[in-house]
Amino acid sequence: MSNVDTVKTDILIIGGGPSGLATAIHLADVLKQYDKKGRILLVEKGSSIGSHILSGAVIKADIFKTLLPDVDFNEIPLNAKVSSDTTVLLSEKGSLKLPFHVPYMNNNGNYTASLGQICRYLAKKAEEKGVEIYPGFSINEILYQDGKVIGAKTIDTGLDHHGRQMDNYQPGTRIEAKLTIFAEGTRGSLAKQLIKKYDLQKGRNEQIYSLGCKELWSVPEGNIKPGEIYHTMGYPLNMHEFGGGFVYGLNDNKVAVGLVVGLDYQDPTFDVHDAFQVWKTNPFISKFLKGGKLVEYGAKTLPEGGYYSIPKLYVDGALIVGDSAGFVTMPALKGVHLAVTSGMLAAKTAFRAISNNDFSEVILRGYETLIEESAIYKDMYPVRNFRQGFSKGLILGAFHFGTQLITGGAGFFGKLKTELDSEATKKLDELTFKPFKERFKGKLEFDKVLTFDKATDVYFTGVNHDEQQIPHLHINNPATYETVNIKQYGAPSQFFCSAEVYELHTDKQGHQEIRIHAENCLHCKTCDIKSPGDGITWMVPNGGNGPEFQNM
Amino acid sequence: MALTIISLIKQVPLPSEMRMGDDGLMDRTKAKSIINIDCQFGLEAGLQLKKQYPDAKMIVCSMGPPSFEVALRTAISMGYDEAYLLSDRKLGGSDTYATGLAISTMLKHLGFTKDAKEPFIVLAGRQTSDGDTAHVPSQVAENLGIPQATFVESIKADGQGNVIAKRIIEGGYQLMKLPMPCTISLTPTGVPPRKPSLVGAIKARSLPITVFGIDDIGLGTEKIGINGSPTIVANVINLVSERAPVIMSEGHTDTVMVDSLITNFKKGRNILEKKEKVEKKILEKPEFPFFDNRNGAKGILTWAEVTNGKISRPSIELLTPARKLAEQLGNDTKIMTLLIGKNVKALAPTLFEHGSDEVIVVENDKLEEYLVLPFSSIFAQVIKERNPEIVLFGATTSGRELAPRIGVKTGSGVTADCTGLEIGEYINRKEKIINKPILHSRRPTYGESKLATILGFVYPQISTARAGTFEVPPREKGRTGLLSVFIPKLVEKDFVVEILKTERDEGVLQNLFEADVIVSGGRGTTGDGLKLVKKLAEELKLQGVKAEWACSRVVVDEGVAEYAHQIGQTGKTVRPKVYIAVGISGAIQHIAGMKESEKIIAIDHNPKAFIFHYADFGIVGEYEDILPELIDRVKSGYTFGMDVVKN
Repeated sequence: MSNVDTVKTDILIIGGGPSGLATAIHLADVLKQYDKKGRILLVEKGSSIGSHILSGAVIKADIFKTLLPDVDFNEIPLNAKVSSDTTVLLSEKGSLKLPFHVPYMNNNGNYTASLGQICRYLAKKAEEKGVEIYPGFSINEILYQDGKVIGAKTIDTGLDHHGRQMDNYQPGTRIEAKLTIFAEGTRGSLAKQLIKKYDLQKGRNEQIYSLGCKELWSVPEGNIKPGEIYHTMGYPLNMHEFGGGFVYGLNDNKVAVGLVVGLDYQDPTFDVHDAFQVWKTNPFISKFLKGGKLVEYGAKTLPEGGYYSIPKLYVDGALIVGDSAGFVTMPALKGVHLAVTSGMLAAKTAFRAISNNDFSEVILRGYETLIEESAIYKDMYPVRNFRQGFSKGLILGAFHFGTQLITGGAGFFGKLKTELDSEATKKLDELTFKPFKERFKGKLEFDKVLTFDKATDVYFTGVNHDEQQIPHLHINNPATYETVNIKQYGAPSQFFCSAEVYELHTDKQGHQEIRIHAENCLHCKTCDIKSPGDGITWMVPNGGNGPEFQNM
Repeated sequence: MALTIISLIKQVPLPSEMRMGDDGLMDRTKAKSIINIDCQFGLEAGLQLKKQYPDAKMIVCSMGPPSFEVALRTAISMGYDEAYLLSDRKLGGSDTYATGLAISTMLKHLGFTKDAKEPFIVLAGRQTSDGDTAHVPSQVAENLGIPQATFVESIKADGQGNVIAKRIIEGGYQLMKLPMPCTISLTPTGVPPRKPSLVGAIKARSLPITVFGIDDIGLGTEKIGINGSPTIVANVINLVSERAPVIMSEGHTDTVMVDSLITNFKKGRNILEKKEKVEKKILEKPEFPFFDNRNGAKGILTWAEVTNGKISRPSIELLTPARKLAEQLGNDTKIMTLLIGKNVKALAPTLFEHGSDEVIVVENDKLEEYLVLPFSSIFAQVIKERNPEIVLFGATTSGRELAPRIGVKTGSGVTADCTGLEIGEYINRKEKIINKPILHSRRPTYGESKLATILGFVYPQISTARAGTFEVPPREKGRTGLLSVFIPKLVEKDFVVEILKTERDEGVLQNLFEADVIVSGGRGTTGDGLKLVKKLAEELKLQGVKAEWACSRVVVDEGVAEYAHQIGQTGKTVRPKVYIAVGISGAIQHIAGMKESEKIIAIDHNPKAFIFHYADFGIVGEYEDILPELIDRVKSGYTFGMDVVKN
């Protein structure tokens, strides 16, 4: 078994989220329509389809009519249709319902949903159409030949912490594909390599992200109606932090609550999970959860740089779709319909490539053209400057947004730049306002009824990682990590991590070091995004590892 | 000469601690299924063996509902070639006896008989997580008439048609040489199961699985299913953890944390408020006639296991339930004890003094070390001659393979690893009779979460009793009994298995049973080779405390400690006054081996470690920070409130 096995396929799709599944489904449909053959192989790192999927979610569900024209719409496992949609401004104890919606945030006709459930459904449809889906396999290497992408390889398993082969060593499988579609979701670890290798971000804005923490609750009858949704602004965020909360009423007395915060915040001690807990204590929020029970917890990042942050989406032999490409529209933070759309456009492009037996950029650049002509462009272009405007605070952001509304998105300053989230963090001694712990003094004792510490929340994710493997979180430069991250920034990883992976330990002599509990990792990738200095690299762990989201 | 490697697997629900359904409760309907962990180790052992036999054919077999195909496909994706499933509604409710019979019938149908021309080896997991009996491998071996080794950690071929198996025994291990064909059951301590490969998964996706019904393999219905099985499950109750919630130490420095622990420890552990037991509804007892189906069987036969020239402790413990059962049966029921070995007659008085009425001695130079083939043959011959109604074994690694092998010979079902044995009755509503007297064997199952009562209707009724559960009966100096000698018929084939080496450290075992404080290290403490764990135990000893160090399975796996120190192996339950678990996550086997300790302190860096559910006091922290602090305290006289014996 020392030889690496090779599998050949026409199309390899990496990632079983909405974009990857949409690519698979639509390509299978088009191939069938024109009576053409093509092997489509989809590989997903979660133990099953949906286990790594998390979204709010309020979805523009019409997109599924486009994707699955032959299917009865009622068959799609959506949750409640949005019945009321309210934007609320929160203060510490108070709340003010806004009499209007923030522009571009109207949710009329949309549906609440568990995106994980939808993905399970889409996977079933894809399999029916002949797509081969293999969950539980991680891909950690892109295969190149003569400057082209020629496929990818699954991770070698049976390695110990140091990477030494153990008795149960099993080399990964080489998947040679004519076309590889990167659908890994937010901050894809392979897409990141691809973007770097081919300099795909050249001339574009850096991608910026936000982190969302979400809990699913089971609440007493009457706390909230299915389809009743709220978006909150304000508390507990201050003028330097961009983001907001959501409360989505679901069927069967379930409610999804969450807080999403832009990772361009300055305070190195800011903690999104803990801010989320504080947010729940506002009476306007806590009333929905009263008497209820936590069912699930999860976290994920989402790319919100917008139009100008989208990288070049094709190279010879490869396309990027969905969150990996940065298809999320602001300020509504919606990406599912764009993910599906981009998947379908990638499928059309792939079909052309198969038909012409040409998988080079010559054909693949048509993907970008299709996107420019699509709803993705229509959704993203008018708000192309939206998010950048807020990176210097809410007041300036509101000003920018105002000018953008008048000018159709351009604003008075043309293309606004972004800076990397990791560079937005300030050093401890540069911070001009109260650090997180002081701001919320007395509010960070969690009662385990309404509010939960990270460790408890992590218990509600079902997360699991094989003990024997190369740690999947890698401190790029341990020396500067200590001098920069720990000494100057106070080890922000211990705060920004959504799952208590990073622990700052101080020994008797006062020496501090970061300890990594990789087994807790929810694959949100905040550490890869937000670590100052030389940073942290998030790599894929063994297949089937990670959270076990059920209804997120 | 192509070798065939056959793995027997079972699909089981994911252990309950892994998953919660809606509202935090285990939802069995949605519970994910996995290949039983031990069976996964069996699969891997097969793949390891394939490294020596690259041409070997890899076959995986299972018995169960059609949904078990998922497990078979997983095995294919790990590297197996063919899959067979025995699936028939008529098999529903089969006990281990019936299961062993059905599986061996399928194997014979596939051509794997003891006289097969081509060599083969049957691999299985030691036991399943939803049954925990460890019977089926032995029963399959006996039904096929081939040698066996159970509780095996690893296997290697010697290149001459034999397998060298490393078998775990109490306090150590044995290396044994078995000719093929043979059956091997694997403990989850060998090479961990590999992950499926993508290329394997692609193969598994389309590979046809052969599904047999009982008619296909020529298996009748007389001895299978709920009606054909010699035993039934009469009753199952939930076992609720009796541990009150853990008291966690608080503080920001290691010193404060340890201070907090010591203060908490002094205050005492949380006590669960005993809920008033709900009055059980007494079912009206029908007026059926009593029926005694013993058919002349009488007396209790026990096995006196000899290790290192002494009667093993579990064999002496066994005389406690044996005496109780004899008294409940009345009518001058005798306890007979079978003592097999080389020059063992001198050990008989010990047995008399602890309660045996008769000691049946079998002496033979070739029987110095236990071997399942001759021992099971001797037992069958003694049972035939004496016709006992009950046969009891200590649930040691030997007892647990010997009993089911004998059971196949006598047609009896076996109840494994019992924690309660009692004489009762059974209301047989179908036949409108009350069977009485009948042995009620109680055993924990489903990962110690349930207590099942098993009844056997074929005589002798056979049970194995968990070591450490029953007290050693008081020794009555000078008590004596009938000493008889039995000459068995043994054939050469009974000795085809050779013991190459026995490594056993009984001293440590004894110390662990008698220690007041056990300091136990897990995977988290191997960084320094268990130095700090040993040091803490050492310092306690220096203070005059009866202390011993121990470890979890993983530590032994990593070669850091010897087997004798492992807690959580079959047949060992320790009950110290204080058990300090350091860096132990709390695998269910480990918990089973230590949960009856008076007070449990857990130290682990992972606040959600399972061990904290079973601990009275907890510290979340790294062992290399907490232990030095604790060692300092012990050095200055802290002894966890233990009495101190000053020399």
